[in-house]
Amino acid sequence: MKELEKIKRISIASTLFILAVLIGVLTFERPKNMYAFNTENTLETLTTTSYLISMDELDKNNSVLIDVRSQYEYEKGHLENAINMALPEILTEENQLILNDLKDGKTMVVYGKNVQEANMPFLMLYQLGFTNIKLLSVKLDYLQNKLIVSKEEVEKPVSNIQDFINESVKNSKKPIVLEKVKAEPKRVITVQKKKKKPVEGGC
Amino acid sequence: MDKKKIARVTSFRYQILALIFILLAGGLVLLPKYQKQEGIKSEALLSHATSPERYISTDQIANKIINKDPSFILIDVREEESFKNYSLPNAINIPLAKLFDEESLPYLNQSQFDVVFFSNDHFYADQAWMLCNRRGFKNLRVLNGGLNTWFTTIINPEKPSQDMPAEAFELYATRKASSMYFGVFYPDQQAVAEESISNTPAPKKVITVQKKKKKPVEGGC
Amino acid sequence: MGPLIPNGLIPMEWDSIIAIIIGIAFGFVLEASGFSSSRKLAGVFYGYDFAVLKVFFTAAAVSVIGIYYMDYLGYLDINQLYVHPTYLWAAIIGGIIMGIGFVAGGFCPGTSLCAVAIGKLDAWVYVGGIMIGVFVFSELYSFFEPIYNGYFLGNITLVDSFGWNPYWVIFIFSIIAIVAFVVSDVVRKKVKKVFYS
Repeated sequence: MKELEKIKRISIASTLFILAVLIGVLTFERPKNMYAFNTENTLETLTTTSYLISMDELDKNNSVLIDVRSQYEYEKGHLENAINMALPEILTEENQLILNDLKDGKTMVVYGKNVQEANMPFLMLYQLGFTNIKLLSVKLDYLQNKLIVSKEEVEKPVSNIQDFINESVKNSKKPIVLEKVKAEPKRVITVQKKKKKPVEGGC
Repeated sequence: MDKKKIARVTSFRYQILALIFILLAGGLVLLPKYQKQEGIKSEALLSHATSPERYISTDQIANKIINKDPSFILIDVREEESFKNYSLPNAINIPLAKLFDEESLPYLNQSQFDVVFFSNDHFYADQAWMLCNRRGFKNLRVLNGGLNTWFTTIINPEKPSQDMPAEAFELYATRKASSMYFGVFYPDQQAVAEESISNTPAPKKVITVQKKKKKPVEGGC
Repeated sequence: MGPLIPNGLIPMEWDSIIAIIIGIAFGFVLEASGFSSSRKLAGVFYGYDFAVLKVFFTAAAVSVIGIYYMDYLGYLDINQLYVHPTYLWAAIIGGIIMGIGFVAGGFCPGTSLCAVAIGKLDAWVYVGGIMIGVFVFSELYSFFEPIYNGYFLGNITLVDSFGWNPYWVIFIFSIIAIVAFVVSDVVRKKVKKVFYS
């Protein structure tokens, strides 16, 4: 009798175990829109390759334009042959299908109201594995409802701020001792990787 | 009859369990491998990227610096040269290429301060923001417009013309005052300087509550 | 998703409560499976009872398989799990001391407390011995400190430090487990049976 009890227990336990594993496997859904690159690869590509192209460099026959502005703005005016794909919708299934079709063919060129706006979708799509993607460095303006495309340079300082400040100091009539704002450098207390400390178990 | 059958099967129970065990272990070896997804899901990242919440305006930052708000750190993601030439006070230089270096991670991956990225405009800062956000770092902000906007709004604010509303003048006055704080001198310095002193609010002290680190619960057999 | 507490799914304040619940369950299972008997525990070393070996080997193997399945399916992030830091010589010396105590006393610290709970006299003596040991160690801490804190290797695992494929390691590990069980059964049949309560 005791033996039978033992068998019962073992079989119940093993059934439950297998069930748990099965449920785990069956409810498993492969996540959609998987990244193809991790952050470090992406960073390396960002800093080593040139992903910006200007309007002149754009090879119209060999590239597909993607407009990431909202549909309203797209309808108001857009570059020739551009596809509209607003930023919040780039991960939807239909848009992913379109993008996947383009994956191995022509260059995808993303543009938006300005380069900054197109930056996010560009980076997003790149991380998802669309390597043939470029960022169009243009700025779109409207002049009397007509779309004006102008070139925009990214990260170009408008003026040398330090020189401006020095100049202003020189120009001021009274020689005032420049009080340098110098607060103490902030100490950052590094949070050690939250390996939440040992809840160890033993034996 | 039935009982006998069951008994015969159950006499092999340990072998059966061992077999299941080996099969499960072997399954791990045979399962198709895919690259592990690093960081937060792409959908979550996209919704973060879509929201403009991350942007902090130059006025806000200027105000914070002047009030000696200790709750944030400024990260300059431009090259070292530009950083040496000019940067915001107390900014820390982490060029974009070195974003994930060993020594920069303690600044980025912490929960104590807000991290404010900035560059000349917010292009590089946004990129840094996105990569860090994907890694799940907390409290990341981007200076809207970067140093260019900093220059046009704080350092060299545009004087409002006569027909502008009173708010524009007020804004100009604060901006001018803060530009003086950041080292710009105006020909009419004296008059404004006194005014500005009364204008700027007293530095408020923020006492950050440090979370108590929990002591490890040690166990053992 | 997991691990639950570091990812904030269970607030950190709960961890002591959860620890108590797990501890009670652990103690109950130890006692229920007869591990509060020093003869059963010492049986591993004399070869008449391999329950300890089987139980702990199975527990380790099953949990590692489970964890890797969960990691594979995305329910758990294995990199966030706590890895106990290695202090090489402290671990070796401590292991030897514990092993000797284990064979001599017939308890490991956890089971000794179980046995105390059901009122075994030898367990009381054993726990008293642990307390004396703790006292001596703390008094001589400054003398032991270089070993206690030295030879620190960090939170390393075999898989990381040798660059092995974890899946193969688990597979080989489970085969070793099965082989060990079979061998232990053979040994047990050869050794004279010992009866104990």
